[in-house]
Amino acid sequence: MNVENAAARVENASKVYGAGDTEVTALDGLTVAFERGRFSAIMGPSGSGKSTLLHCLAGLDYLTSGDAFIGDIRLGDLSERELTLLRRKKVGFVFQAFNLIPTLDAAENITLPVAIAGETPDKDWYETVVETMRLGDRLDHRPSELSGGQQQRVAAARALVSRPEIIFADEPSGNLDSKSGEELLGFMRKAVDEFGQTIVMVTHDPRAAAWADRVVFLADGRGDGELASPTSDQILEFLKSMG
Amino acid sequence: MLRIALKGVLAHKVRLAMTALAIVLGVAFVSGTYVFTDSIQRSFDSLMSDVNEGVDLYVRGTTEFGFGGVRIDEALVDRVRDLPEVAVAAPSVEGIAQLVDEQGEPIGGNGPPTFGFSYVPEGEGLTPLVIREGDWPRSPTEVVVDAFAADAGSIEVGDVIEVILPIGTEVFTISGIATFGDAENLLGATLAVFEFETAQRAFDAAGSVDTIAVVVFPGADPALVAAQIADFLPDRAEVVTGEQQTDDDVGEFTEGLSFINTILLVIGGVAVFVGAFLIQNTFRIIVAQRIRELALLRAIGATRGQVTRMVVLEALAVGLVASAVGVGAGILIALGLKAAFAGFGFGIPTTGIVLLPRTIVVGMTVGIVVTIAAALVPARRAARTPPIAALRDVAAPPRSLGTRIAAGTAVTGMGFSLVLLGLFVQFGNAVAVVGIGALVTFTGVSILAPLVAAAFARSAGAPLRRMGIVGRLAQENAIRRPRRTAATASALMIGVALVSVIAVFQGSAKASVAAAFREDNRSDFQVQLGSFGDPASSGLSPALTADLRELEVVGSVARGRLGEYRSGPDGGLKFMLGVDGPIGEQVVFEMADGSLGDLGPGTAVISAAEARAFDVGLGDFVRVQVSSGAYMELTVVGVFEAAPIGASLVIDLATYEQYNSFRLDQFAYVQVADGFAAEEVRPAIEEVVAGYPNAKLTNTEELIADTEDQIDTILNLLVVLLGFALVIALLGIVNTLALSIAERRREIGLVRAVGMERRQVRRMIRWEAVLIAVFGGVLGLVVGVVLGSALVLAIGQGFTLAIPWVQLIVYLVLAALGGVLAAWIPARRGARMKILDAIAYE
Ligand SMILES: Nc1ncnc2c1ncn2[C@@H]1O[C@H](COP(=O)(O)OP(=O)(O)O)[C@@H](O)[C@H]1O
Ligand SMILES: [Mg+2]
Repeated sequence: MNVENAAARVENASKVYGAGDTEVTALDGLTVAFERGRFSAIMGPSGSGKSTLLHCLAGLDYLTSGDAFIGDIRLGDLSERELTLLRRKKVGFVFQAFNLIPTLDAAENITLPVAIAGETPDKDWYETVVETMRLGDRLDHRPSELSGGQQQRVAAARALVSRPEIIFADEPSGNLDSKSGEELLGFMRKAVDEFGQTIVMVTHDPRAAAWADRVVFLADGRGDGELASPTSDQILEFLKSMG
Repeated sequence: MLRIALKGVLAHKVRLAMTALAIVLGVAFVSGTYVFTDSIQRSFDSLMSDVNEGVDLYVRGTTEFGFGGVRIDEALVDRVRDLPEVAVAAPSVEGIAQLVDEQGEPIGGNGPPTFGFSYVPEGEGLTPLVIREGDWPRSPTEVVVDAFAADAGSIEVGDVIEVILPIGTEVFTISGIATFGDAENLLGATLAVFEFETAQRAFDAAGSVDTIAVVVFPGADPALVAAQIADFLPDRAEVVTGEQQTDDDVGEFTEGLSFINTILLVIGGVAVFVGAFLIQNTFRIIVAQRIRELALLRAIGATRGQVTRMVVLEALAVGLVASAVGVGAGILIALGLKAAFAGFGFGIPTTGIVLLPRTIVVGMTVGIVVTIAAALVPARRAARTPPIAALRDVAAPPRSLGTRIAAGTAVTGMGFSLVLLGLFVQFGNAVAVVGIGALVTFTGVSILAPLVAAAFARSAGAPLRRMGIVGRLAQENAIRRPRRTAATASALMIGVALVSVIAVFQGSAKASVAAAFREDNRSDFQVQLGSFGDPASSGLSPALTADLRELEVVGSVARGRLGEYRSGPDGGLKFMLGVDGPIGEQVVFEMADGSLGDLGPGTAVISAAEARAFDVGLGDFVRVQVSSGAYMELTVVGVFEAAPIGASLVIDLATYEQYNSFRLDQFAYVQVADGFAAEEVRPAIEEVVAGYPNAKLTNTEELIADTEDQIDTILNLLVVLLGFALVIALLGIVNTLALSIAERRREIGLVRAVGMERRQVRRMIRWEAVLIAVFGGVLGLVVGVVLGSALVLAIGQGFTLAIPWVQLIVYLVLAALGGVLAAWIPARRGARMKILDAIAYE
């Protein structure tokens, strides 16, 4: 893959938690890059370092060694404040749960990063995003009044609305029933196809990963192969072959 | 259950530590008050214990109440001495003698008394005074001063100093320096000892003495001697034992001290009360956070009673530890109180620190009882946790809106009714009724507060929205748990309400005083004590008036002397004023009947209220008791509506002096002679007044300013002491914020993840605190203004309501700043929270 065109990448990345007896190596010299304008998925067994990779790429955590880049910005060079501004401007997030501020309604949750920056959202773009996520009639509802699927769509809309260079999603459909999950993934796919959005998604569900253009497999904090535009059956087979 | 309870305490130690701090502070104030006053009492007691040692009997004038009394005839000294079994009969004359240092500044005074005593050789050894340096006064120009005064005024034996006496300011040579037993310092009092005849002259006591100390020969029975003396004593004189005299001396002092003690205890009580709000809030939050654990206990068979007991046991553990620490911290508070009093000019030197068992018992009891009482409601709530809550998210059913409105309104109404009853009807112990009423009112308002918390945060927080998302989140967070917000704000409300009551009273008092002076005062100049002084132990030398009257530029001087009397019908003690000079021309008395001009020997002008109480009119007699126990029969020659001076009985000075030995004036008013301009002749008058260093000359506007300053000094001391309750309330905000932030870890992590900067997080938390604080402040202002207005209206007597809005708004701003301060640590902690910990999904 062309490293120059990567939206985000890590080089020789290691992440070690704890020390001594309790030392855990979550990432072990991993090098991987994610292209712009594509929908990538990361898969691997539980504890293989998927979330850690995502956090270190997204500027939520520092690597122990190696480098992480968003575009050509080396995250290790940034101060805490610069990282915060980077997350605000260039990165979007969708977590597995607890994505929303309960005291704000859906519209306010969607525009949260823009509001934090003290800016007003681009109205046309906001409406496009809201329409894409089919949230038009839910905007004045608070999170507690939304279904799980709707909540995740609000989170996705929030990630999209600041036009970030890249969106990271950590098991975004992990807590949803299959219908809502499919719906959400469909919308994310649409964001990639129609708006050229870059998305990197962690999942352990082969059917979710099948929405991606490319699936990268991790095991024990190392790369363990990848598939391009696979079907869910191909993914299942690959996982089986990994053992 | 005990083990679970203790584990519960340990599991929430940080949270409970904050609560405990509230109890520590409250208990510390209460026990500190006791330590403070006990220490003063102890040093006084030890001073007094050997005062009258060696004296078998005292002969003295009677004093039923108040100050002054009467002196006894000097001829009695010889009659006592001539009794066969009397070994020594030593006369003594006492009065007030203000020492003046080289710079012309008064030494001591300003609260503590300035005693003057007489010396007779036969009395040596009968008083606790010991000469440390030099010798007793042996000539009319000699004086002995105490070691404290000598230090304060840099006085040495042989120096020449001025002393202000009832007869004027005179110059003496220091013949010696005395100590009071072993003590260098008589609680800040100063002492001047003169040769006996000099003292008689100085204290305007020619031909009379205050006491005669009697020592009987060994083997003689003092009781028999006392009976012999009593036989020839005239009315208004009595003979008492040495112990009795000591007890009376101590008793008077103790009474004054117990007043200070009461005021401080009330403030301590307020602190504890505020602490109770904090405790309740913390326990409620802890219970809410542990709902699953409690439900599990219920599910596996714990009864409601057991759950209640568990929470109460936790409270007991916290209360026990915190109260113990509080009693210890009380010693620091005692030192702080001493410093606060000194800072406001009421220096109270003490020797040693006294921690009585009573202090420990009261401190521990108050701390533990209040903690448990405050935890009781949350404990009951905990018991109502349905077992099913262990499995699902169900909160214990909250109290219904209707119940809350009804309960809150009822309690508030009851409290306010008590306040009004106490103020206007004045049954029983009115002050206590008002105090309890105020506390009940606070409780009622705190029950109602959650109902308006959200509305308040929405409207008052509206400007915050314009600050963008940070302000918006702060506002939402403040509203989110209305009951928690309200409870936190209520703690602050109490302190703010009390300082607002004081502010309203202060504003009204100042406005009323200013208006009254401007309206009623016709004098050009006024002479009064230059510093704070107890009317019973300080005053102006009468010689000052004589000197002023000699000035050509002075038209007239009217002076007044305060005294107390017991009014016949209701038996209460009231102030009387002995006046000399054309007082009616200098001060406008609004006369209902008769005239002040008719005042002369044996006549009185009385207030309309007294006239009604006695049911008398012009020409009728009134009979009132004076300090010595004697009765004055006076013919009413005038009735006034409102007294600008606060006395309800005015007599002429000659009559006063006949019944009262107090010889210092409270004030002297001066009108310049016709044809002179007041400000032009001021230097001449100033020169005379300058000869009396404790006197201060003012014109009317200066007098108003001075009076306002005095009002401010006393009330500001109260406000500073109440600051303690405010500190506790701010701790409550710290606590609530810390809890709220802990609960909101995920949200803070989320907003940080999507790009909120640390300083924005800090700002968000600060604004939340400000909203809570301002809510408490506004509640406090409203309650305070209402209660304060009621107080002012109840006082009546020309008191007009003046609400100092500017000051109140300053208080509100200070409350908001307090919020910022309280948010300091929680905001930092919130901003430093690890994002990943917060968003981790388990
Ligand atoms: N904060 C942490 N402290 C210690 N160990 C951690 C921490 N976070 C993750 N780990 C460990 O690092 C490894 C990788 O974790 P993670 O990246 O969450 O894996 P995945 O998302 O693939 O399940 C696991 O062994 C996990 O226990
Ligand atoms: Mg994970």
